[in-house]
Amino acid sequence: MVGSPEKTQVEPRTVVQVLPWVTTACRLGLAGVLIWAGAAKIGAPALSVQAVEAYELLPEKAAEIVGYVLPVSEIVLGVLLVVGLLTRITAVASGLLMALFVAGIASAWARGLNIDCGCFGGGGQLAPGESPEYLQEILRDLGYIALAAWIVWRAPGRLALDTVLGLAAKRDTGGEEDVNDDDEERH
Amino acid sequence: MGKSARDSARERVRAEREREEKRARRNRRIVVSSVVLAAVVLVGLFSLVQYNRNFSAKFTGTLAPITVQPDGTVVMAKPGVQKPVLDIYEDFQCPACKTLEDASGETVKELAAQGKVKVVYHPITIFQQDPLKSNSVRAASALRCVPGGTPWMNLHDRLFAEQPTEGKNGFELADLVAWGKEAGAAGADYESCVKNQTHAPAHIKFSEDTVAGSKIEGTPTVRLNGKELGNEAFVPGDLKETIMNAAK
Repeated sequence: MVGSPEKTQVEPRTVVQVLPWVTTACRLGLAGVLIWAGAAKIGAPALSVQAVEAYELLPEKAAEIVGYVLPVSEIVLGVLLVVGLLTRITAVASGLLMALFVAGIASAWARGLNIDCGCFGGGGQLAPGESPEYLQEILRDLGYIALAAWIVWRAPGRLALDTVLGLAAKRDTGGEEDVNDDDEERH
Repeated sequence: MGKSARDSARERVRAEREREEKRARRNRRIVVSSVVLAAVVLVGLFSLVQYNRNFSAKFTGTLAPITVQPDGTVVMAKPGVQKPVLDIYEDFQCPACKTLEDASGETVKELAAQGKVKVVYHPITIFQQDPLKSNSVRAASALRCVPGGTPWMNLHDRLFAEQPTEGKNGFELADLVAWGKEAGAAGADYESCVKNQTHAPAHIKFSEDTVAGSKIEGTPTVRLNGKELGNEAFVPGDLKETIMNAAK
């Protein structure tokens, strides 16, 4: 009983002001993970390739290419999210990437492989006695997908180049006049 | 102003506004596709950099002399080259060791041949579970039947190239005999040495002593003058630079 009437009285204006900042926080969170993951893998291309090969999903050549391209892509996506450029497209791409990781890990799990996901460097076969942590890895990636989904829904958030460059659709910037604009057009 | 005049003025404003919006949409499209293109080009360029960092040319020169030491280590060095010392601890069954050899093996040969470094291989068996362990012991014991020189290196490289998938049986004695012969190991002596696994007990003892004595956490372990190398061991250019700096 207590408190519930207050909740319903939250000012719409406050929500409107806070939501874009939530998006910004999601962008920075997801970007941090992507940049960290990319940086951990980019140091030694051979190890990055090996981590991909350990999944035994791709032919040798394809695994090699993924091993080179993936860390670079993660860093580029991360940087785009930080500056808020092409926010929605970048968030979609990041979410799809995470979904691929989930699929890869789930497949490794289903086939009974004994590997490290190699998400943040390392990767490859686990030493005998070490056990894989597929469930945690999948849950973690699902969390990142949730961040990406929020960003797609509420792009681009505050402090975004998209806004500066006029790339954000008007309704996404969260101003009041825009609503009036729409009304006027429809009248 | 009549009603129709007002209407046509309104029409003009509306048309102007539509043109404006069309232009804005087109500009947005141009900016978006430029940024996408730039991002893709950037990813492509840096992926090429990654490819290049991982690339090393096959070493085609004459190898520095290779000799199997009484203690089981194998030295590859030009006569008189005592330092820097590059210790390589590896297991023929370990995928990361194969990755190391694929990435940096040729560079190591080249630097040894140039007299820049004394290389000490420690071919050990780190695995304690079968079939990993038995595969590894068979391979390493067979390699010990080759006293050194180019045949040793040929078989060493062949063993990594033929590394069994983890968990599968491999490195069968008949294969080891055949690969050794192709590598240039001499006839009947080699064959009986492999088939009898003559060096297996010594190799197992050597592995245990190495793991305990050299404090190996895992394979591969690469040490330059006793200092453990990290990622740079897996990047041929970086490894070369590190060794050259140590050789100064």
